[in-house]
Amino acid sequence: MSGAEYCYQNDGGRCVVKVKGEIDIYTAAEFKKQINAAIEEVTGDLHIDCSELQYMDSTGLGVLIGALKRMKEQGRNIYLENLRPNVRKLFAITGLDKIFILEV
Amino acid sequence: MSLAGSMEKQEKINSCEDRVVLVLPNKPEYVSLARLAASGIAGRMGFDVETVEDIKLAVAEACTNAIKHGCCEENSEYRIEFGVGAKCLTISIADRGCGMDKKDLCQPDLQNPREGGLGLFIINTLMDGVEFKTAPNTGFTITMKKYLGV
Repeated sequence: MSGAEYCYQNDGGRCVVKVKGEIDIYTAAEFKKQINAAIEEVTGDLHIDCSELQYMDSTGLGVLIGALKRMKEQGRNIYLENLRPNVRKLFAITGLDKIFILEV
Repeated sequence: MSLAGSMEKQEKINSCEDRVVLVLPNKPEYVSLARLAASGIAGRMGFDVETVEDIKLAVAEACTNAIKHGCCEENSEYRIEFGVGAKCLTISIADRGCGMDKKDLCQPDLQNPREGGLGLFIINTLMDGVEFKTAPNTGFTITMKKYLGV
């Protein structure tokens, strides 16, 4: 499967974006669009539920880095939740686990 | 000379290996096909699940690099060659680009993270050996190796 699906939920005041599928060079543009839309729509922090994100590469990391820069400028943050081991490893090897908040 | 023709002249992977060759259009939608091939070949060779994921990711990063920087002409192609040995998987990805920036191999700067340029660093971290070759008429080739049982 190649592609990603998104759904939003307001979980007790938290904005959660759930990402399903694969983020690569083909799907990264849509991922960027969805994340940017979520940043515009809410005022607080952004939580991204990655429990069903099966695959992501540097194109997805690039989108998240851009989004984090925007959020930090506004004093907001991005929380990445429920990462699968292969995606968590990507953050670990690049050192980006030190600038993103990764939650179990 | 066609891409396939020029590639034939490139150094062949050791003849005792099986070869699997994919020639893909420079279109993002086909990168998943390269991942699928990498996953199938690495799994069949006996790499564990985590290593198969690493190989898939490294192949996808090299394909992304080829599409972004190596295929300047519309409708061009790039070529992926898997050399399947008893103890080693060798993967070469060749495009018509002019190569890479060596600073992309460095550890990312976490004080000022860039939105691009992580791909080659990731490949270099995940694979056991990585070589780059640039030739004036054939383009840029990245060759990566992963050893079984290391």
